[in-house]
Amino acid sequence: MSSVQTSHQAVDVQGLWKIFNEGSNNEVTALSDINLSIKPGEFISLIGPSGCGKSTLLRVIGDLTDATRGEVFIAGETAHIAREKQLYGIAFQQAALFDWRTVRRNVELPLELQGLGKKERRERALELLELVQLSDFAEHRPWELSGGMQQRVAIARSLAVDPPLLLMDEPFGALDEMTRERMQNELLRICQETGKTIIFVTHSIPEAVYLSDRVVVMSPRPGRITHTVPIELGERNEDTRETDTFYAGVTAVREALRGRSTSASPSRIEEF
Amino acid sequence: MREPVSGKQRGATRTRVQRGVISILWALAGVALVVFMWEAVKFVGSFIDLPLNTSDTSMPHVWTMVDAFSNPVVRGSDTTVLQAVVSATLTSLKIALGGFAIGVTFGIILAVIMQRFAFFERGLLPFVIASQTVPLIALAPLIVGLGNRISLGPIEWTTTYSVMFIAAYLAFFPLSVGALRGLQAPSATSLELMRSYAARPNQMLWKLRFPSSVPYLVPALKVSAAAAVVGTVVAEISTGVKGGVGRLLIEYARETTSQPAKVYVAVFGAIALGLAAAALVSALDLYLTRNLPKESQA
Amino acid sequence: MSTQTAVQSRRTGRFSGIWPPILIAVLFLAAWQIFVVARDIQPYLLPAPSLIVTNFFTDLSLMWAAAFYTGTTAFLGLVFGTVLGLVMALLASRFIVVNHLVTPLAAGLAAVPIIALTPILNNMFNITSRTPRVLVTMIIVLFPMFVNVTRGLLQVKPVQLELMRSMNAHPRTTLKVLRIPNAIPFFFTGLKVAAPLAVIAALVAEYFGGPQEGLGSRIASAAANTAYGRAWAYVVASIITGLIFYLVVVAVEKWTTPWTGRTQST
Repeated sequence: MSSVQTSHQAVDVQGLWKIFNEGSNNEVTALSDINLSIKPGEFISLIGPSGCGKSTLLRVIGDLTDATRGEVFIAGETAHIAREKQLYGIAFQQAALFDWRTVRRNVELPLELQGLGKKERRERALELLELVQLSDFAEHRPWELSGGMQQRVAIARSLAVDPPLLLMDEPFGALDEMTRERMQNELLRICQETGKTIIFVTHSIPEAVYLSDRVVVMSPRPGRITHTVPIELGERNEDTRETDTFYAGVTAVREALRGRSTSASPSRIEEF
Repeated sequence: MREPVSGKQRGATRTRVQRGVISILWALAGVALVVFMWEAVKFVGSFIDLPLNTSDTSMPHVWTMVDAFSNPVVRGSDTTVLQAVVSATLTSLKIALGGFAIGVTFGIILAVIMQRFAFFERGLLPFVIASQTVPLIALAPLIVGLGNRISLGPIEWTTTYSVMFIAAYLAFFPLSVGALRGLQAPSATSLELMRSYAARPNQMLWKLRFPSSVPYLVPALKVSAAAAVVGTVVAEISTGVKGGVGRLLIEYARETTSQPAKVYVAVFGAIALGLAAAALVSALDLYLTRNLPKESQA
Repeated sequence: MSTQTAVQSRRTGRFSGIWPPILIAVLFLAAWQIFVVARDIQPYLLPAPSLIVTNFFTDLSLMWAAAFYTGTTAFLGLVFGTVLGLVMALLASRFIVVNHLVTPLAAGLAAVPIIALTPILNNMFNITSRTPRVLVTMIIVLFPMFVNVTRGLLQVKPVQLELMRSMNAHPRTTLKVLRIPNAIPFFFTGLKVAAPLAVIAALVAEYFGGPQEGLGSRIASAAANTAYGRAWAYVVASIITGLIFYLVVVAVEKWTTPWTGRTQST
């Protein structure tokens, strides 16, 4: 394996394995030989059926669980160091807001843990709430907000320490379709304004295609990457979801999920 | 999709019984620690003045307590203290269980009435809930006073019935609240489903409401059993009704100058009474929840 | 009354409001009064509500003194038991050994009449003082507090723990920022169980001898002196004391934790 610093990829996953209960009779191989490089500013979706290990992969990258074998680098640092240096922010399917804190103080939480002064973190939190268009709700309690608004707070919180990388685990999974599409546009706008690298776990094919530069297709038992589908939709706007390129992307991902690649795809599909 | 985060779920693969055995072993270790601390306090108390009396008359050695098990109840008697305490504990257990059964029966009946008729829920529930926050046990000496003074036709009302009445009375309230909550537990979807089958109210009750009340009923049964036990012992204590372990506690407490360890045997009897009641309710729990999904260890 | 939408209609139906409980209370008391007067029931069996109320107000200062004595015992026991329960819960959430040792004991003791320890404590401490009663109250309060607070400290949503880990939080920070706030509603759940228990324990502990100033002693001695109206009046005073303890806890909870009782954000 080459040295750590050769590639300054945003994320570099090399020969990664995750095996639960290794050696016992209920051993499960959740991830098998995952290799994935992500360029700075790239938007990557991880898609696949339940049990394909996409959430586990996200958690290994975030050093929330250990890899059994293989290595993960974020901006050239190991995942562990990257977590200690707060090189990524994370958002989950559940907003995971603290009911006992106001919206603003939820966003302040990561800054508080970094020991930032009261005034600075307040300013930063208000700035972020403006970014997610929730300035009016800063002093509300999380449970007074709708699901979509709670998720926007969670995204603001994940951006609080201004990390280069965002990890998102089905953040829009619990939202209705209309809210979901609005949130996707919001997320793309935020990405454009901040230039973040994003790893986005989802179940939804149209969501993956609409958001991503590359869709990484995974399959279960054992969890592995089977295809990578590049998406070239250019600048997204209201009509993007109705273009032929979009439909072609959806078809390509669907075919990849079924285990075959199709010539109908305008995109180049890398098979593994 | 969401795999375990780390290895801390090891316990989840153990069965309920295995987990129970492990808990009991830990509890025994906890008891051993209490015994050790007891002797340690006595030891320290023999050198330094502690704010409590560590002499052998007030805090006998643990081995003296064990010895006291086999002492005769009174000089020259054939009955040992242990035998006397065991028989008193069994008497109290019978009274407590009788009261528990009566309390549970009436609690469920009240819950069904409150579930069916909104007026009774509105009118009675506040009192039932409030009754759990007030010391109803204060009534015990007054109710036991009824003993031997009323007659209910062929049944002669003895003080034993008064004690059982108090146990039932205390068991009744928590149970009716839990049972009502359980009867109201079915989701709107389940109720609509039953309605689509044109289910009659009785069918609704037996096929849907009772089965779905089990998860609420089980904790209520535990609270009620505890209330019945405490009610029995306190009723016995506050009135001196003979036969039960409560009365023995009072009697043996008076003999501490001559036989300081004796009262501890009665205390162990009271503890055994509570554990026996808890064990019976746990068995009931296992039976009632046998068809339910095993709760995931959080 | 049809059953299918019972829950909804109950909230808004014609029987809503505070009238049903008041109506039932009035009917109950009236029936009791009429029954006692009409059947000429002797007070040793059942005194009439009017007799109880008369006794309560004529002996109001006695009622107050007895309730104050027992209430003080209950309060002291509640405070000490709560503090001890909190310390033990913090230890149990930090050191798994403490948790293993104490949790099964606490569960096993749930049905045990701990009040039976009173004669022992009366021997170990000065029976003529309040101390043994406060101690037995403390022990009774300790367990529901310990069980509930430990649950609150440990039952944190996995996703919130992952969030803390993603922010590289020290366990001490997680305790302060996540576990303790999470445990506050559980703390009040425990306190709502413990506060009435404290009054009951303080009252029952008086039946084992010692000073005769409290509600428990007064009920017993009034009953022994065939002053049944006064005995029942002391019962009323006990009920009021218990209710006050409970309602104060509810009020403090409402005031300090505005976020509880709401649907939790997901």
